[in-house]
Amino acid sequence: MTRTNNPIARFLIYIALALFTVYNVLPFCWTILNSLKLPKDANARRPRFIFSPTGDNYADLWLNMSPEEFAPYGLLLLLIIFALIVIGLSANRIPAPNSLIYIGLIGAGVLVALSLPRVVNTAEFYDYLINSVIVTIGTLAISLSIGALAGYGLARYRHVVSVYILVIALAFRSLPSLALVLPFYYLGQLSGLYDTHILLILCLVATNQPFTIWMLRSFFMEIPREIEEAAMIDGAGRLRSFISVIVPIMWPGIITTGLFTLLLAYNDFLLARILTQINWTLPVGIAQWTGGEDPGHVTLAAAASVSTTLPILFVIIFFQKYLIRGLASGAVKG
Amino acid sequence: MKRQTFIFFVGPSVLIMLALMTVPLLASIVLGLHYITFRNLDEPLWIGLQNYQEVLADPEFWDSLEFTIIFIAITVPLRIALGLLFALLLDQIARFRGVFIAAALVPFVMTPVVGTLIFRDMFDRGGPYWYWMQQIFDYRLFMSSTTVPLLIIFHNIWTATPFAMIVLFAGLQTLPQESLEAARVDGASWFRQLWHVAIPHLRSLFIFIALISIMDSYRVFDSVFVLTQQNPIYDAETIMYYNFQVAMSFGRLGKANAMSVLTVIGIFVVLIPFLVMTYREQTEES
Repeated sequence: MTRTNNPIARFLIYIALALFTVYNVLPFCWTILNSLKLPKDANARRPRFIFSPTGDNYADLWLNMSPEEFAPYGLLLLLIIFALIVIGLSANRIPAPNSLIYIGLIGAGVLVALSLPRVVNTAEFYDYLINSVIVTIGTLAISLSIGALAGYGLARYRHVVSVYILVIALAFRSLPSLALVLPFYYLGQLSGLYDTHILLILCLVATNQPFTIWMLRSFFMEIPREIEEAAMIDGAGRLRSFISVIVPIMWPGIITTGLFTLLLAYNDFLLARILTQINWTLPVGIAQWTGGEDPGHVTLAAAASVSTTLPILFVIIFFQKYLIRGLASGAVKG
Repeated sequence: MKRQTFIFFVGPSVLIMLALMTVPLLASIVLGLHYITFRNLDEPLWIGLQNYQEVLADPEFWDSLEFTIIFIAITVPLRIALGLLFALLLDQIARFRGVFIAAALVPFVMTPVVGTLIFRDMFDRGGPYWYWMQQIFDYRLFMSSTTVPLLIIFHNIWTATPFAMIVLFAGLQTLPQESLEAARVDGASWFRQLWHVAIPHLRSLFIFIALISIMDSYRVFDSVFVLTQQNPIYDAETIMYYNFQVAMSFGRLGKANAMSVLTVIGIFVVLIPFLVMTYREQTEES
């Protein structure tokens, strides 16, 4: 579309977009400030933008011990994380296969995360984080592997059955998840799976599967058939050619779908609220501070909000172009 | 692709959906015909259609349905209109696009519970919006049965506009250049270009966003949970939230299942035209 050359109009457009940006990020910035305040500053009637910051809220949130006692462990933890990052960055120079190094690093990270509560007296919020991470990674792994196979099959099989499956999946996508989770709750109570990670992961995979196969299928449709036909002439079977030829080309599509799955699993509140009793995930943990009678809740909830949001913001900033491409691909196809 | 390989590839996913979606749906139909509370979980009592009668005679059910419909009727058009507005503004400029888009993603990717909480803090006593409204408009905001529903609607627009904006902005980049060129040669103004080229081209996107938005607004839950603080005085219950309350707060699992069966029927009635449309499109393609 024609762009305006009128300098005043251009100026106003920039102003409007800048205001929109402020409106989008201001609440989060305000929460960061709140998380660094003492309760008396946060509950002041006049909003305070200048105050003496404190880290107490984060200490209360994550630790059941005084921050001074934690200091040596915290330093050690920072050193370990730093060492892991250095090893990761210099993986190319170490005379060992890169994949082995990365698997080792992830293993070490998991080991540190799981052994931390044994050494340090961590608060419950740390357990919520671990639960959230387990549920998110489990959902991602199952959802993407099954979804990629199905998406590929649906993209390649020209038959009315494919259309039926897609339309039924779309219908499932529209279901209010409460209709699924109440029976899950009931069956979970009877089978003893209630309050386990497995039940929550299965429920998330199920509610997410229709979206996953639709999105992955649309990415597979873009790959020309000739590529895998060439691979099959070389004597590779369908599955071999899928894993060794298609999946490497498809990484961008899989990452994009994975991002949306990650958001869904990490952000989910309703399913986790119903299917867990003590193994809470982060959103359920934060919801306990929503009824604000206690003045300390405001700052604690702010610290929890920042702690929950930062990891997701880092992931999104890192993979931003994939997320936008995913949204845009919905755009191009409609 | 041969049928066997197709079954091999698609089988796991279809099995998962059958086992984890179809079975629960059937189960909720069966459970809806029983009287179940937390006490008699393992020996439900068969009561036939009594749950359904009770739901349909429940004024709170109709209130929550009414609020949900109002909510959809306000948020869906506003999301699309605001999304289009900011997409058009973004289209006009060359610099800082990445910054504006990145900032717009913040409310969109944020955990809904967290997003609602920090949104409420802005309007709650001592928050900047609360304070500025007092200073500038001389309006003293307090949480009531008027303002809480409005905040729920406002919060939804805050989180969902960026989605519409990014989708429509991407759509604007794929406009047919020949038609735009022709319009320019004819001396068509920006508004005529918008009306005769861009809007018709974006039509399928509007339908796409409307479809997603209706589905999502119909099941809005997290923001209601946080903004009402589970307090019934605000009179801002959506159908999903009331359904949740019947199940988890009142412990009437049978009645809740009956209600969720009704909500499923409700959304399908709305969506059947879309499903038929998708079916036609897909059969034409293959």
